[in-house]
Amino acid sequence: MIRYTIRRLLQGALAIIGAITIVFFILRLSGDPARLMLPPEASQEQVDAMRETLGFTRPLWQQYLDFLGDTFTGNFGDSLYYGSPALSLVLERLPATLILAVVAILLSVLVGMTVGVISAHKKNTPLDYMLTGVVLFGQSMPVFWVAVILIFVFAESLRWLPTSGFDGPLSLILPAVALSFYSAAPIARTTRASMITVLDQNYITAAIAQGFSPRQVLIGKALKNSLLPVITIIGLEFGTMVGGAVVSETVFAWPGVGRLIMDAIGNRDFPLAQVCVLVLSVVFILINIVIDLLYTYIDPRIQADWRAGKTA
Amino acid sequence: MKKSTITRSLVAALSAAALSATLVGCASDEPQDPNALDITIARSFDVAGLDPGFLTENAQVVDNIFDTLVTRDEDEALVPSLAESWEQVEDTVWEFTLRDDVEFTNGEPFNAEAVKYSIDRVLDPENQAPTLSYISTVDAVNVVDEYTVQVVTADPDPLIPTRFSRYPTEIVPPAYTEEVGQEQFAQEPIGTGPYVFESWEKGASVTLTRNDDYWGDTPSVARVTFRVYPEVATSVSALERGEVDLVAGVGPDQLDTIEDSENAYLSTAPRAGNIVYFGLNADHEALSDVRVRQALNYAVDVDSIVDNVLGGAAVATNSIIGPADFGYAGEPEGYDYDPARAKELLAEAGYADGFTIELDTVNWYQKNTDVAQAVAQFLSEVGVTATINDVESSVYRQTVPAGEQAPMYMLGWSSTNTLDADASIYAILHTGESYSTYSNPDVDALLDEARYATADTPREELYAQIQETYIADAPRIFMYQENQYYGVSNDLQWEGRIDTALDVASIEAAAAE
Repeated sequence: MIRYTIRRLLQGALAIIGAITIVFFILRLSGDPARLMLPPEASQEQVDAMRETLGFTRPLWQQYLDFLGDTFTGNFGDSLYYGSPALSLVLERLPATLILAVVAILLSVLVGMTVGVISAHKKNTPLDYMLTGVVLFGQSMPVFWVAVILIFVFAESLRWLPTSGFDGPLSLILPAVALSFYSAAPIARTTRASMITVLDQNYITAAIAQGFSPRQVLIGKALKNSLLPVITIIGLEFGTMVGGAVVSETVFAWPGVGRLIMDAIGNRDFPLAQVCVLVLSVVFILINIVIDLLYTYIDPRIQADWRAGKTA
Repeated sequence: MKKSTITRSLVAALSAAALSATLVGCASDEPQDPNALDITIARSFDVAGLDPGFLTENAQVVDNIFDTLVTRDEDEALVPSLAESWEQVEDTVWEFTLRDDVEFTNGEPFNAEAVKYSIDRVLDPENQAPTLSYISTVDAVNVVDEYTVQVVTADPDPLIPTRFSRYPTEIVPPAYTEEVGQEQFAQEPIGTGPYVFESWEKGASVTLTRNDDYWGDTPSVARVTFRVYPEVATSVSALERGEVDLVAGVGPDQLDTIEDSENAYLSTAPRAGNIVYFGLNADHEALSDVRVRQALNYAVDVDSIVDNVLGGAAVATNSIIGPADFGYAGEPEGYDYDPARAKELLAEAGYADGFTIELDTVNWYQKNTDVAQAVAQFLSEVGVTATINDVESSVYRQTVPAGEQAPMYMLGWSSTNTLDADASIYAILHTGESYSTYSNPDVDALLDEARYATADTPREELYAQIQETYIADAPRIFMYQENQYYGVSNDLQWEGRIDTALDVASIEAAAAE
């Protein structure tokens, strides 16, 4: 188990190096920030001088080696745009992103799994069609549109909730709901499919025969045994929310990492964009490791496989 | 349009009960002491730093913390601020007499040394000030005595007082700036202005409080928060709901909402924005013929685009200089909408069957894609097929200065609150400038003569001459100048300015009814 975790961490480190390497080169393919940092009236000499100061005139491989060296020694550089340490800018924003993603994923799980369980239980009935239809509809609506409608109804017209911002629990509701619309559907679909397979298993028939109540069978036996694929999907959706909540963050003026990384890329703020990717990769890989560990908790057979050396 | 009204009234009806309930809650914080106004202003992006000498965007926030030697009054006339008076003592020397009763908010004295320090650090090539070009004509700032400075330029520069009315010439406290260093100063600035920096939550807001020892008039607003709303639709909802008191940068799509609002009003700064045009690069084979360039102008119905695409949020114009700028010579004659004439000219130039051309557009301008599509539609009616590329902003900022944009490209320019024709046109007309694809030696000579002018140069005439030649050459499709709009809470009294300044000290509580 510990050996496995260590190996996963090492794999994660490799993945992170891969991610920041890709980002390093892709960012530099699309020009550099010297032009963008100066007003349009700036002369070519000024631009060249700025480029020189920023070190972009050196060969790319040299810049890359310096970058790797700096990263391993924990020196992430200053944001070109903000002029302050890039890492602290990202870490300042991370809590807002994590809070939003956690609440949104909880909402998605609550709605998605409830719908999935009911749909599986009432397979191919009008209720099943209606519920899966509703969540699919939720997923089909663009987040931007959902967000604007939510603001219009709940903030502007009903005045129940603030339109936007990051002050207190009330301001969290609208962005989290908007974000959860998209993820509820895949969770519901996976839960339903997985439940249907499990409900066909002999041990369920056995459980019913042993006289367990339908509720005990459904929740205690079937749901628990259907969780593996659902957990995988939840992990993926959560990862997407951490890095990809740009639209929600924009509409709701939510100061998260998604907007920071978008702006950093737009400004060709290399150090900041790189650190954003680094931090998000770390978060993403940690989520994956947590999910793998959850597998062993939910399904002890996996741990047994590891012990037997049959690691996948 | 109708549909949204119906939806709106439906929702309004549904929520009437809830509304009346919440109104009770709102009423409690309604009665305000006019001397204790605490307001929130919505802007679409965050500041990058708060050091006025090293800004990478406009000075809307920092100008409330700092003062300049000269400022502009509500009629945009140059008036004294930290300098009591100024005069051009020689062709290349301007002398400023400073106020002797001003202190920075940390107690440091304001004097000639502070002025010299503030300008020198921007001029120092080591410091790489982004807006160095705004004062690059300045050679040196010399201290004459404690309250007199001289600004020396290499060539005569008639715009020195203007340059000392805007960033990057705000005056900073030398001792504090040296002590904390440039990086920290941008995080925690100290100035002489009507407001004092309180806090900056990156990506979210900047808060300032009133400087109670301000040397000028005490402002009505006691505390102001500049909040970031990346999406204007959200800030307009927030204005409607009372979370925000002033929205900067309202777009054509939100005008109706604010006009219909019972809680806010629309403040218009006519022609305060960019003069938008479609540049025609004469390196392109067809566009090298002046008749073709003129034909394209005749082909496009600008009035119709302004009315139907922009909802009237701009003013069609052939002028390349804005009406608030020095050098504006009224509305010149140009090319009216005349597709028959366009076809004739195209035929004369050998393009009776038209041609195909690429057209670049970018989201720096209101409804840019819609405008580009409308232009392409008009062009197709005279046989010219324009393929539209919607270029990403940061890419465009590199391709245009590199001269790599499409032969027909959308661009807009303004005097960026210098309010002088030089800033409005030099960079887009002079041969070899980064944003210019035009080249005419006569125009170059006139531009330079007007730029390096002495007191008796007839600059206005020079600009009129430039404009006449330019219109005849038709190196662009002449389009329109954008208006700027602000949404303002009914609790406040304020009008948007032509120079886009958000001078919080000029915001008053609305008169009681």
